[in-house]
Amino acid sequence: MKKCKCKCGCKILKLLAKLFGVLLLANVALFVVFFFDLDGKLLFHVVEPFLKKHYDNMERKDTLKTPYDVAKYVKPDYDK
Amino acid sequence: MAKKIPEFSKEDLSKMLKDFWYGKPHGERRLGELYIDKKGLYKHREWRGVKDTMYYFYMIWLYNYIHMVRDVIRFGGVVNFAKGVWRYRWVGQTYLPVLHWFDRGLEGLRGEALKASAWHYRGMVASTIRQFQRMFAADTRLHGGKQNEIYKHNIAHNETVWGGVFYPWSDQYQNVPIEMIPYFVTCHVNCHTVLNYIDAVQSIGLPGDPCPMCQAEAGIFVLDDVPDYAPIVVTCNEACDASVSTSILQDWFWDKPLYALPMPMQFDDPLVKKYCMQEIEGMWKFVEEQTGVPFNWNQLVKKLESQNQLQEFEWEKWEVAAHSNYYPVNGVAQALYRIYQSQYGDWEIWHFCDKKVRKIMEKCVKKKINSFPNTRHRVIAWSCAPLFFSHWCTWAYNCWGLNVIINMDSLMFDMTIRTDSYDHALEDMAQYHMWAPMRRMAVGGMAHMFELWDYMQRFNCDMVAMYDQLQCKGVQGIHGMFEDEFRERNIHAFWIPHALPDSRTVTRAEIRRLINDYMTTVMHEEPLDPSLLDFDDSMGW
Amino acid sequence: MKDLKHLIFFEDLLQEANNKLVQQAKAEGKYAIGYTCYFMPEVLLDLPGCFSVRLRAPRCTSPDIATYYMSSRVCHYARSLMERALEGGFNFLDAQMATETCTATCRFQEHLEQKHLDSVKDMRVIENDNFFCEFCDVPFKNNEISYNHFTEQLRVHVLDKLHENLGVDVSDEAILKAVEEHNEVCRLINEIGDYRKLDIPTITGYEFHVIQLVSLVCPKYLILPYLRETAEELKTREPELKKDFRCKVVLAGSENDDPGYTQLVESCGARVVADRYCYGAVESRIPIEIKEGEDPLKAIAKHYLLTSNCPRFMPQDEMRQRKKRLADLAKEYHADGIIVSSNKFCEYWSYERVIDTVVMPRDFGIPVCSIEKEYINSASGQLRTRFQAFVESIEIKQIQEGK
Repeated sequence: MKKCKCKCGCKILKLLAKLFGVLLLANVALFVVFFFDLDGKLLFHVVEPFLKKHYDNMERKDTLKTPYDVAKYVKPDYDK
Repeated sequence: MAKKIPEFSKEDLSKMLKDFWYGKPHGERRLGELYIDKKGLYKHREWRGVKDTMYYFYMIWLYNYIHMVRDVIRFGGVVNFAKGVWRYRWVGQTYLPVLHWFDRGLEGLRGEALKASAWHYRGMVASTIRQFQRMFAADTRLHGGKQNEIYKHNIAHNETVWGGVFYPWSDQYQNVPIEMIPYFVTCHVNCHTVLNYIDAVQSIGLPGDPCPMCQAEAGIFVLDDVPDYAPIVVTCNEACDASVSTSILQDWFWDKPLYALPMPMQFDDPLVKKYCMQEIEGMWKFVEEQTGVPFNWNQLVKKLESQNQLQEFEWEKWEVAAHSNYYPVNGVAQALYRIYQSQYGDWEIWHFCDKKVRKIMEKCVKKKINSFPNTRHRVIAWSCAPLFFSHWCTWAYNCWGLNVIINMDSLMFDMTIRTDSYDHALEDMAQYHMWAPMRRMAVGGMAHMFELWDYMQRFNCDMVAMYDQLQCKGVQGIHGMFEDEFRERNIHAFWIPHALPDSRTVTRAEIRRLINDYMTTVMHEEPLDPSLLDFDDSMGW
Repeated sequence: MKDLKHLIFFEDLLQEANNKLVQQAKAEGKYAIGYTCYFMPEVLLDLPGCFSVRLRAPRCTSPDIATYYMSSRVCHYARSLMERALEGGFNFLDAQMATETCTATCRFQEHLEQKHLDSVKDMRVIENDNFFCEFCDVPFKNNEISYNHFTEQLRVHVLDKLHENLGVDVSDEAILKAVEEHNEVCRLINEIGDYRKLDIPTITGYEFHVIQLVSLVCPKYLILPYLRETAEELKTREPELKKDFRCKVVLAGSENDDPGYTQLVESCGARVVADRYCYGAVESRIPIEIKEGEDPLKAIAKHYLLTSNCPRFMPQDEMRQRKKRLADLAKEYHADGIIVSSNKFCEYWSYERVIDTVVMPRDFGIPVCSIEKEYINSASGQLRTRFQAFVESIEIKQIQEGK
């Protein structure tokens, strides 16, 4: 086998090949996620139940205790 | 006994390759078999042929995921987003599975229809992210109680206040509707979130019969799930009695300076326009007083002219939809994009998406591409749609060949706004505002409800999908006259009963069953895809 | 207490919209003008030559045909009016002066309208060739531009139409004359109603409800003599020797033209001393004041917007102030509590009731009984239980406060 003389060009080619390989793999992986609706399944089975539990247990203000000041706001002149 | 190997002929192989390459043709495919029972998830996403599947994968699924991240970073940053997701149910529970919303709306679509409809979805997603990120970036609750600069440059308003009335300040201030993102859009994306808010407001004593949309709009306040993102608020009486009442509760719980912007009810009366113009001017004075920034006429003109371009393209779309089979946008994309864009007001994303759609539509017209070749009936959808099942039109086309050409929500704003003088602009803005969503036709004067017949003719439709919002007094109060007229005019019409956002009152499955019953017992037709007739997606988003 | 001389006659007048006095006025050549909402100024419909009739549909328990037209999910009041109209009960009307002040009654009135459209056939609900229905836009605010707008609406859609179609005199003089007669009714009703402010009122809430209603549904000039006589009679009416009620309440809320409802409340031990609901006297019997040099029509437009406590008013100060006005009313009439009732499917009052139920006890110390009711109350057993419990809770509160 003939040895490559141009070390630099070879490195670039290797890098490109690697990059292409990584991109191809990423593409395939993403396509698998897409095609088998793995994003939906993850969100449905893991993320949403976790968040729902968090929201259900969250401490919330009792909004009925909000003051209702009947005199706080007066009609502005341009709306009289 | 040796197992018999099924015969595999050359034709079978060729058919298999053809299906792989082009996707199974409508009539042979069984989309209903893709669902996981009850959950509405897919065993796998649909194979639409090599070209369309790859388009969906790269240009819709991947493109939108990437752009969603980009939008989050661009409009307020990841930290604000994370804080918002952790604090507010409506964003965390709803917007993460947004790509499933695309899936439901775009199911079964091919070619140009897939592309054009998806661009509409992209526009809505970008606008949604922009708005909730603006809320989070300003929210005093997420920023240690501080009112930052963004907070001081926001104006909050009811979602039925047309965004265009804030154009004069749009170079310095951003108007963000209170309920559009926390309530309205959520129902389309994840129909379960809103139920928390409806239940919340009923838990403080509100009966179950008022409009459930307004219930939910009040419920987000009861559950303390509204960001504190603006110093002032503008409310409106559109579209109905319950909208007026909702602002009573909102005012109580939010306790901010408020300007009520009432729209005259009798909008056909030429006398009311002057009053409406004066009220809009009153609101402008309020904004000037509260912000200290004067009204900017040039900015108003700039934005109105930009909005007029959107309207002009919408008219072009209507023309193609009405007079040809080459319109490449499906029913749900048409309806949602149009109501979103026309109510929210002008923004760059709409122009970007319209440009894309225009290119596709022109191609369809030029090359005579029929994107919905299995259309059996051209349907007009009338009145207010079920928010939790806005994609019913996608299902109806796939299952029965019912192609929803146009809908009431798209047709409400049917005008451009003159910018040649202040008076003309204001007069047209008043008219535009009075034709608010749901008011012009659903709860407006009875005559407008019956504009249906004209539009049916104009869009060459042969069937009506009549939405029957069970808690809308305006529509319920006119129910019998529609029945009479349908009979008298011998029009094929099916009713879709629903409770707007509340998916429990009439479920998606019940709606499908009602349409199935109509198509079999009245129309005596066979489904195009029998696997879609009956399936359980009760837990689905 | 001694029975009121005309009470049975008044009760009889409330059995039908086309009652004896309406028939008499029609026979005398007067035009009957129907309306449903406070925002349609009755005084303008009482101009010389015509008379106002606020529409009711007494004893309408099963509005079947109206339910076909308006579905079962619309306010029972609107449906009952529609049913009565379809039965021919409103054929005596010469005109309907309509307002879109709530969706349900708007839809009812739209059914009466002559369509003159290709898009929908005219139902001819009212069998009267000369009948017409005219809509008027009512603002949601109390400000100068709203007064001007409402004035113009009343001029064009009420006065001009009455004049053009029925030849009614709509001059300022005629308006002033109608105001004078209207104010006479107001004065008498207020005089009668003021007896409810006594420690032991010499009139029951039921009796007052009946009297107020007849003043709304009968020609003013024909009912006035009876009102005068009743007011005179009440001057010497002796109260019961022993207090025959356990507490006093204000009745607030949405549409209520059913004296039986007031009677039901009172049968549970409460005395209804004030009536702040649609068809009530609190607002509708405030005399109209026209200052010298003022345009009478504008004064009337302003009066109706200013005196209303309807929850359709949207400005922030208005929304908040009407809670205070309700509290002040309870104070003025020495009421121990408030019953806030809303008709089922009434959107305005469903919300207002929620906030009243929380704010009135919390911020004003006034107990509230929150009721959702039908137009005709068939479920009286359930309501009775609620009212009895409310009366008891007030008594317990009074005991705890050492009263």
